[in-house]
Amino acid sequence: MKERKGFLYCFVRNRNGMIGFIGVMAIVLIGFVGPMIIGKPSGYTTDILLPPCMEHPLGTDNIGLDILSELIWGARTSLYVSLLAMAISGAIGIPLGLICGYTRGILADIIDAAIDIFMTLPMLPLMIIMAAVMGTSIINVALILGIFSWPQLARVTKNSTLKIREMQYIEAASCLGLSQLRILFKHVLLNASGPVFVNMTLVMASAVLTEASLSFLGLGDPDSWSWGTILKRAWQQNAVISSPNPWWWWLMPSLCVVVYVVCFNLLGTALNDCLNPKGRE
Amino acid sequence: MEKGGPLLKVEHLTKLFPVKKTRFFEEQRHVHAVEDVSFELYEGETLGIVGESGSGKSTLARAILALTKVTSGTVIYRGEDITDFRVPPAKRKLLHSELQMIFQDPYASLNPKIKIGEAICEPMLANGQARNHDEAVKKTRHLLEIVGLRAECFDRFPHEFSGGQRQRIGIVRALAVNPRVLFCDESVSALDVSVQAQVLNLFNALKKEFNLTYVFIGHDLAVIRYISDRILVMYLGKVMEIARYDQLFSDRAHPYTKALVSAIPEPSTAARKERIILEGDIPSAVNPPEGCRFCQRCFMARPECFEVEPDFYEVEPGHFVRCPYMKGGE
Repeated sequence: MKERKGFLYCFVRNRNGMIGFIGVMAIVLIGFVGPMIIGKPSGYTTDILLPPCMEHPLGTDNIGLDILSELIWGARTSLYVSLLAMAISGAIGIPLGLICGYTRGILADIIDAAIDIFMTLPMLPLMIIMAAVMGTSIINVALILGIFSWPQLARVTKNSTLKIREMQYIEAASCLGLSQLRILFKHVLLNASGPVFVNMTLVMASAVLTEASLSFLGLGDPDSWSWGTILKRAWQQNAVISSPNPWWWWLMPSLCVVVYVVCFNLLGTALNDCLNPKGRE
Repeated sequence: MEKGGPLLKVEHLTKLFPVKKTRFFEEQRHVHAVEDVSFELYEGETLGIVGESGSGKSTLARAILALTKVTSGTVIYRGEDITDFRVPPAKRKLLHSELQMIFQDPYASLNPKIKIGEAICEPMLANGQARNHDEAVKKTRHLLEIVGLRAECFDRFPHEFSGGQRQRIGIVRALAVNPRVLFCDESVSALDVSVQAQVLNLFNALKKEFNLTYVFIGHDLAVIRYISDRILVMYLGKVMEIARYDQLFSDRAHPYTKALVSAIPEPSTAARKERIILEGDIPSAVNPPEGCRFCQRCFMARPECFEVEPDFYEVEPGHFVRCPYMKGGE
């Protein structure tokens, strides 16, 4: 028999996966540890619109606050929002997708119809309305993101489940007297985990994007820093078009969003490749 | 259960699958997968079921094991009606462990994401054959050694094994729950010939060791003849013949059986005796022929075969044939 190659071995050797993993870990580390070291930027100072220098590595904004510390606090908000959104959409989407794919009957049809309806809803306007009604707080933003991103996850789970349901090992499991719940949430879910994982990382990535758009539209939490909030302030002060251009103000938060999304996507793809024991050779 | 009675008795078992309608006003049609099948299974014997692809062998096993809902008929196990496993939950647990199945495709019947050891331990814990995880692990290692696999296999994934090894793992998984009756659904068909022989010998050895009763399903009469005490021949969802393995080669056998027997390859250089070659394919099970199911391909068919469904005749003690011309006395 061949030498065993574990999940870790494969994952460490996956170049894109490691880039994504290191990126995500860096963001997580910055998001968790950064705010403990650096105080929350508030008030105003006289160092208005300074370009990057020794004292302010990424410059300052129009009220003299350090962009770097704003970004670090923003990382925390982004992580918090995307984790919460992912947890909510996973808690709704995965069980519904599994049930919809595994059972045949009226319940599956109802879930299927619900997924279709939710997918055709215009997301952004609804989010704006909900954010306006529910009030602006970080938890509300995450809640809204979670509620609107579950159909995608449910659809992916359902499609994988449909294929797995017909496999002989599922029949074997029910022949061996395992309970349907156990078959569904262990035997089916284990085999569906690849696409589901990837989709969950995508949900995390798009949650940050949407959070940035909501904040940019002024529907984020005004009390907490997020990358979208920084962009919004820059936009309001015409920083993007004014001259001389304070490029560090709007470029840095945009780059943060890009890096975050790319890293999560790379991580998701690598996880998908490595979670499949057959693909490890 | 009275002494000497059958362990498992199947009475008039029928399984129809509805055909999906293509138009709104259309008569509902059905695939007649298994129709009016009755047989008895005695403790300690091996019953072989042969037939072409599509003759309903696997569906029959699945219907008995409640993996698919039966349309009509009853299944009686140890004197109790267990059709569709409609029994109290505690009893159902027992049934799930006493009636087990070994599947056809050793590549598809093991969950690719679950390690071998865990896959075998899980049903033991679920059905109460082991009280805790340690006991299950110990038993699993022991069983793996019995079927000729090394105990290190415990922590490996299914894709690391060959077809024969996987089939052994499937056997261990079924044995782990202490079955009394083992349904082997084409369990050696997917293996190459040398491995087939090993696995068949393993089946025979296990039968003695664990006191098992087998229902052995296959399309290869040579394999079925080797392992079975009695053989049930199916064609298009119906039983054509039930015979002891030696009676199957008598002149009184059903024409279909004769055709199957003549197709067994013989390891000799002597001139072959006449082979019976059946024309055409097995007819559609949606519109089975009227009269005898086999009439369209039978080399002995007479006009009345196309009109009247023949009865089951006992041509010798314990030898039943669904063909009026084998009744004798003609």
